[in-house]
Amino acid sequence: MTPILELRNVSKEFHGVAAIRGVDFALMPGEVHSLLGENGAGKSTLTKIMAGVHKASSGEVLLDGRPRVFDSPAEALHNGIAMVFQETSLVPSLTVAQNIYLGNEKFLNRLRGIYIAAQQFLQSLNFGVDPTMYVSQLGAAQKQMVEIARAVHHKARVIIFDEPTATLTPEEKHHFFALIARLKKDGVSIIFISHALEEALAISDRITILRDGQHVVTDDAGNFDRDKIIAAMVGRTLSEELYSRDKSRSVRGYGRKVLSVQNLSMGKMVRNTSFSVYGGQITGIFGLIGSGRTETAKIISGVIKRDFFHGGEVRLEGKSVRYRVPRPAIKDGVVYVTEDRKIEGFFETKSIAENIYMNLLSADLNKRAVISYSEMMALAETWTRKLNVKAIDSNARVIELSGGNQQKVVIARSLVQKPKLIIFDEPTRGVDVGAIAELHHVINELADSGLAVVVISSYLPEILNLADRILVSRQGRIVEEFSMEEATEEKIMYAAVH
Amino acid sequence: MIGALRSWTDRFLGRGAAAVTVPPLDGALKPNSKLDEAPHGIDADEPDDILVANGATYYSAGNQLFQVDGNGVGIPVFQAPGVITALAVSPEGRIAIASEPGGIRLFDCNSSAAGVGGKQTWSCITAMAFAGENTLLACIGSNQTPIAEWQRDLLNGGNSGAVWTIDVNTGAADRIASGLAYPNGIVVEADGNIVISESWRKHLIRLTSAGKLVGQVMEDLPGYPARISRNSRGGYWLSLFAPRNQLIEFVLREPEYRKAMMAEVAPEFWIAPALRSGASFNEPMQGGALKQMGILKPWAPTRSYGLAVELTADFEPVRSLHSRAGGKRHGITATVENGNRLWLASKGGNEVVAIELMRQGA
Repeated sequence: MTPILELRNVSKEFHGVAAIRGVDFALMPGEVHSLLGENGAGKSTLTKIMAGVHKASSGEVLLDGRPRVFDSPAEALHNGIAMVFQETSLVPSLTVAQNIYLGNEKFLNRLRGIYIAAQQFLQSLNFGVDPTMYVSQLGAAQKQMVEIARAVHHKARVIIFDEPTATLTPEEKHHFFALIARLKKDGVSIIFISHALEEALAISDRITILRDGQHVVTDDAGNFDRDKIIAAMVGRTLSEELYSRDKSRSVRGYGRKVLSVQNLSMGKMVRNTSFSVYGGQITGIFGLIGSGRTETAKIISGVIKRDFFHGGEVRLEGKSVRYRVPRPAIKDGVVYVTEDRKIEGFFETKSIAENIYMNLLSADLNKRAVISYSEMMALAETWTRKLNVKAIDSNARVIELSGGNQQKVVIARSLVQKPKLIIFDEPTRGVDVGAIAELHHVINELADSGLAVVVISSYLPEILNLADRILVSRQGRIVEEFSMEEATEEKIMYAAVH
Repeated sequence: MIGALRSWTDRFLGRGAAAVTVPPLDGALKPNSKLDEAPHGIDADEPDDILVANGATYYSAGNQLFQVDGNGVGIPVFQAPGVITALAVSPEGRIAIASEPGGIRLFDCNSSAAGVGGKQTWSCITAMAFAGENTLLACIGSNQTPIAEWQRDLLNGGNSGAVWTIDVNTGAADRIASGLAYPNGIVVEADGNIVISESWRKHLIRLTSAGKLVGQVMEDLPGYPARISRNSRGGYWLSLFAPRNQLIEFVLREPEYRKAMMAEVAPEFWIAPALRSGASFNEPMQGGALKQMGILKPWAPTRSYGLAVELTADFEPVRSLHSRAGGKRHGITATVENGNRLWLASKGGNEVVAIELMRQGA
């Protein structure tokens, strides 16, 4: 049988840094094919090449056995390849129905007719989303449902799902898997990217595993089990070095209390949470998605506001502070390194140098009253060297860098602001394995230099490897604290879910 | 003007200084059960202060001073005319004993005691320390409320405390600091500066030997600080006799409510910190908030708690010993280190507790 979609020896480089190298991949008609790998393994890049978001640097893409080059996602969609993105690609200012029909409009459109058709279509998929609602009003899971509905509506022959279940509730997941089964029955081929290995094992016909941008293995799902997948995904010394718990490492003691969060509240996300952060050590915060970790960090750093009435208290070095915007927080030395670097972390069309310099300006730390090009370039030079940012030069646009290098730029932007307290939210999400080690090194150095460092992560080995003390967040509050001597994966996970 | 406006809006919105919040017990103050796990100590009737003189451990309970003998039993060595409220030991081993009534007496450990002269009548002495063989520093908790009614002083927002320096030979006394919110612990640093624990302001402050305020050394403590003693590692032990909780913090911001409560409710049922709690179902915090399946939750919001904290020379917490809500060794009013043993006076638990420091990971 001819594969419906095939990639032969495909490589993709971003500014000289290889994201995937010589990958072969074949998708058969009507099969569910899971693509697995660690963060930074190249899954998203590979599927974005299939969906016309990126063009391969070398190698070829074959659709129905014929070589094709897609110049845009619209062209790929026109040829029957749809992708449901990890970062939603919906238009927030349009309604659900308008988003579903976007690109499929007739010459004359009747809004009421679109709403009725969209309502019927969403009901047929068992998705409880109101078609008249604006996408900006939807939650993450509902947005994901609209994305899926949009792909199905375009009658795609190949649908690529990139982490579709991450934001879904168990009931919504059940509907989603039923939908997959129905699409498969209709002859649609599905590529399924997920970190939930059990899901991949349950619904896939075949599984392909990538590691460090290279193909490792493809086999029938029946020939895999969880351990075999993990071994293929992480089976290399670098991962072992990164996440094996170094028992010999000395845990840093408590320095001065830099931050005291007392009974902090914000809506339903942060509920009466209290904790302290000390200088010269790394405080790890672990929690599942929705446990309020990010919101807490954002309140502390002034990105979002706490409750107007009785929102609790944040004390920075003994002084009660209440930031309405990040700027005064930055001036007081509180810096938040976002988990969503593409949206909040940098100006994607600006250069590395401009991005770093902008943060210096916002902290009022620039030497001269006017913008100085030489100061900007010198600053960029210093920080790209210090953090080993791999790019052609400091004028390279940040969007063209790999995830790891983008993250280093985001960290450099924060460090130029001379923080006392730095909060890293998922610092190694979407970062290649080599860069993870470098980022961990940077974070450790910051703590060694006396800074109060907070690392928020939903990846247990990272927390266990980095943190000097671990706080566990559940349902909007810190529920448990572990010293490194007593912390185990089981104990932490138990505290996070019970 | 802007400050007043901000203060008013803060009070209205419950934020800033008016936020009803309490600092978390985490980091070095992470709760444990070390106080309750310690072996049975010495039964005593409300032991209050404790010290080491000439290698022996002494504690006060009621109007008696006890010496702990080799078998770990308290032997009465001195009877004061009133309830002993504070003890201090001089560099040469003389023990200053403050009692109410009775004033200050010096006990030389050979069963003889002499009163300190002078015309001053002393009351509400909460803590003492020697700043030399003949110079005694005394903390007066309040000059408006008797020492037994310390809860009333807190609820009235008392700040009439003072620190006096007393020449034990002549009885000459000089007030070096006043307007303090219940000074309840005192220690003299190597450079002559004095560190005072101000209970109602939940902080430790440093004064010069002349009583001038240098600054705050610990702020926003999670409990009400009591006595401070030196440890053998160059740091200190700080006792906290009661915890803070949000209900009490809220009541402390409501003067009309407090006034009515003090007028109409028996003191043991006031919403106020306590040395012991849980004895009666009439107490303000009980029932569903504290008990689960009939067992007192260790993490329950409570009016009483047992807590002693070891501090570095820079007053940074290193470790702590706790008796949680479900424990019995509450109301730790004094802590002292003698060799490898840490002695704690649990006034709420009616017990003098000894903990082997090596066993606790020292």
